[in-house]
Parts: sequence; structure tokens; C-alpha cells
Amino acid sequence: MKMNRSIIPLLIIWSLAPLVWQLYTSFCTDQALVMPFAEHAQRWTLAHYQSVLNSDPPFLNYLFNSLFAGVLSTLLTLILALPASYSLSKLNQRTATLIKALLIGCALFPYVLLFLALLEVARFLQLGNSLIALSIPYAALSQPLAVLLLTNAFADLPTELEDAARVEGLTLLQRFRWILLPLIAPAIASTSILVFLFSWNEYPIALTWISDSSKLTLPVAMARIAGSSIHSVPYGPYAAATVLGSIPLILLVMAFQKPIVSGLTSGAVKG
Amino acid sequence: MTTLLLLLLPSMLFMAGVFALPLARYLWLSFHADSVMTGLVAIPNDGANWNRFLNDLRYWQDLGQTLRFAVASVTLELLLGLAIALLLNQPQRGRALIRTTSLIPWALPTTVMALGWRWIFNTPYGPVNRLFESVFGHSLNALGEPSLAWLTTVYADVWKTTPFVALILLAGLQTIPSDLYEAARLEGAGALTCLKKITLPLLLPYLGLALMFRMAQAFGVFDLIQVMTGGGPASSTESIALYAYWNALRFLDFGYSATIMIGSFIILTMMVAIAWVVIATARRRSVVGAPS
Repeated sequence: MKMNRSIIPLLIIWSLAPLVWQLYTSFCTDQALVMPFAEHAQRWTLAHYQSVLNSDPPFLNYLFNSLFAGVLSTLLTLILALPASYSLSKLNQRTATLIKALLIGCALFPYVLLFLALLEVARFLQLGNSLIALSIPYAALSQPLAVLLLTNAFADLPTELEDAARVEGLTLLQRFRWILLPLIAPAIASTSILVFLFSWNEYPIALTWISDSSKLTLPVAMARIAGSSIHSVPYGPYAAATVLGSIPLILLVMAFQKPIVSGLTSGAVKG
Repeated sequence: MTTLLLLLLPSMLFMAGVFALPLARYLWLSFHADSVMTGLVAIPNDGANWNRFLNDLRYWQDLGQTLRFAVASVTLELLLGLAIALLLNQPQRGRALIRTTSLIPWALPTTVMALGWRWIFNTPYGPVNRLFESVFGHSLNALGEPSLAWLTTVYADVWKTTPFVALILLAGLQTIPSDLYEAARLEGAGALTCLKKITLPLLLPYLGLALMFRMAQAFGVFDLIQVMTGGGPASSTESIALYAYWNALRFLDFGYSATIMIGSFIILTMMVAIAWVVIATARRRSVVGAPS
């Protein structure tokens, strides 16, 4: 029991310590970073934040790009996955099992290996440098997870409900809109947030599809700062960028921790 | 029936577009020379890519490094994750707080923290080196030493994923009915026996699933390595995905990059198939029939 009580603060320190260090770094002057124990005329500064926020293009731009790509991919994912998972929950056992096995295989696949072919597609169809086009591979890559989660939700609904609605003369679209979707709303929420997180964080495809610096998503913009110079990375501004880039996600996790966990665990329990 | 298949079709087509099409394209490209030398035009080259692939020491070294990274980080994540999950599996206050803090490292973009790690492991200014210096009196060049650099990437990965694995395993633990433990205790079973005879067998499907997913993800490790070490020092942290990336975008050799991808895909499939057989056998043998 004693160990149990001490594990919680340990876990919290473990998770947050690197972030706290970045927070500390972001407010330190360069001199204070190099010689932390010496006396300094000025130890704390907001200069790193100023340089990040006033850079060209401004940092908030990247956040907006990631938000845009994330929302669009989530919508496209749902438009594709909702009908598919409804269908999968109604198909005969054997076909459904086969398709689910295929989906699990795709979900397992380290998608980074796909970037070259996807890059060729982007070049061929002139889809590079477009955040709208970026949502197409994102939605496609999210299909396995989204379809598996939503199929579980559809399968958990009692069939009598839909049968009754059918007897009342509701069309498939009406049943979908008025009966089924409201009932699986929690699963839709979990799926949306997981797909949004994937799209927000996605790196290799965004890296290869987007070169225009005004259209970079957050992860690529961050990596560009790293790549700008191998030997002298501007750690102060970078730490400020880490903090600014983390805040939206931390808020998101705080607000949606329940649907995130339920999505992840129902995927694990039934997958 | 037709309606059902029509509803399924768009999703399946999108998936075929990103999964099947690229693999087919790689297979085709792997039998062609397609690089700056050919003006980025595909010319059949009679299996030369595959010959090069099989004899490419750098690839096989990268594969070894990738597997070393995957095995080390996934083993640590599962062991630590299991320990944390077992300790947390009691009703207690602050569950929301634990969940949120556990999810934060997992939810942050890898690239965001990757450079943070570079700063933390920086020599001489990073906190890790300062701590090491104050204890041992000499500096620690964690990112510059090939024998140490890969461990820093393992640490970064374990940091990101362990709380997450713990959360998944905790959910698994909570599906185990508590009367099983009560019955076992009435029969005089100790804590260790309960762990061995009830908890682990019933948790096996979760452990197996976490193992497979994490292994497959670690096999494709890219973001972390590219930003944190760039594959260095002296290629000691280079992963196969990074090597394929260099081949495509630095050496502009699409044919060979495609060969690396499809070759790695074949290797991964074989490993997953073997793991699958092993897990299935273990499941059949487990005393308590684990729900699947």
C-alpha cells in the first residue's frame, strides 16, 4: 500500500519533468543556460517567446495549419468510416472477421514505410503543398482504427431498435441520422479525438508533401528548427516553441481524457 | 447485401490506395533503376536492387539497430507498464489526474519532444550531463558516443509510451472480476500465486496485443531518430525507415529506397507471423481459458 501511494507522484514527475525543464529553459537567457550557477545581471527573459511569435511565418500559423489538417482529416475519416462500420456490423460473420483481420493488419503496419509511394502520388496528382490534400492520406491511414472502433459500437446496439424504426418506415439514411448516430455518439467522440491526435502529430507524410513554409504543420515546423543547424540549435526559442506547441494538446488531453482512454481501451479489449 | 457492400466500398478503396497500391508500386519499382542517374525514369535492372539489398551491410546493420531499439524499448515499456498498472489497480483518488499526466507524453508530437531530449542530453549544458558531472566528476557525452546514443533514444521512447502502456494494461486488469481473487484467497492462495495463476493469464491477450502493436511501431521508428540524433553518431542510431528516407530524398534513388521498404515489409510480416503462432500456442496452453 505504501508503494501504491508513492507510485502516483513518481509517475507524474516522470511524465512531466522533461516538459518542466523545457518550460524552465524557455524563460532563461542564453547566458543563464550556459552558466546556470553564476551570477547574472539578467536571468529571466521573454525574448525566446518574442522571437518565436514574431518569426516569419509566425508560430501560431503552424498551430492553425495543424488544426486545419486535423479537423478536415477527422471529418473525412468519419464520412468514410461510419457507413463502412455500419456495413461491417451487419455483414455475415465470416466476411466481417476476414475484413477485421485485414484492418488489424493495416493498423499494425508501420505506415512510415509508405511515404515514398505516397510522395509519388502527390507529385503525380499535384497534391503537394496543400493541407486539404494532406487530409486524404490521413483519413485513409486512420480507416483501420476508426472502422474497428465504430464497428464495435454498432455491434453493441440492440438490433430491435433499428428493426422497429424500419417497421415505422424510416429509410436507411433516416435511421442512421435519427437512431444510430446519436446512440454511438460516445464512440464517435473517441474515434474523432484519436484521429485528430494522429493527424495533428503526423510527421513523415507532412514532411514530404509540404515544403512551403507557410503551410507547414507543427511537427514539421519543429523539426525544421532542429534541422536548421546541426551544431547550434537555438534551444531557448525551441523550448519556447515546445511550450507553445504543447499547450493546445495538454488542454485537449485534459478536456477529453475520458473519450481518449475509452477509445484506446475498447480498441484493446475487442480488437 | 448490395447496399452493405456499397457502404463499405469507399473506405476500402481509400485503404487500398494507401496500403495496397504503395506496396504494389514498391514491388514494381524494386525491379527497376529509378534515380538521378536515370533521370528519375524507371528502367528495368534485372534484380540489381535486390542483389544490392541482400549485400548492403549498412541495411543489415540498421536492421540490427532497429531491432535492438525495438526489443529494448518495448520490453522496458511492458515491464514498467505492467508494474505501474498493478500498483494503480486499486480504487483511489486522483484517477483523472493520473490519466491526464499519463496521456500527455503520448499525445505530444514526437518531434516536439525529440529536440527537447537533444537539449536535455546535451553535453556540456544539459541537465543529464550536469548531474552526471556532479556525481562522477567527468562529463557524459550521451549523444556523441555510439554506445550510449541509442540508449537515449530508448529512454525517450520509454518516456513517451510507458504511461500509455500502463493505462491500457490497467483497463485490462479492471476487466478481471474481483471474486476470482476472493475465491483464490479462500483457497489459501498468496499474492504471488494470484498474480501467476489469475492476473497474468487473463492479462495475456492485452500483453500480447500491446507487444505486437508496439513492436510493429518501433520497427518503423522514424520521427524520434530523425530529429533527435539524425541517425548519428556514426550511423549508430540509424533505423531502417531513416535509411530508406535518406535513399529516397538525399541520394534520390527511388528504386533502391522502394526495395528497402518492400524488403523490410517482408521481414516484418515474417516476424509478425512467427509472433502470432507463438502467442496463439501460448494462449491455447494457458490454464485459465483467456477470453479472446
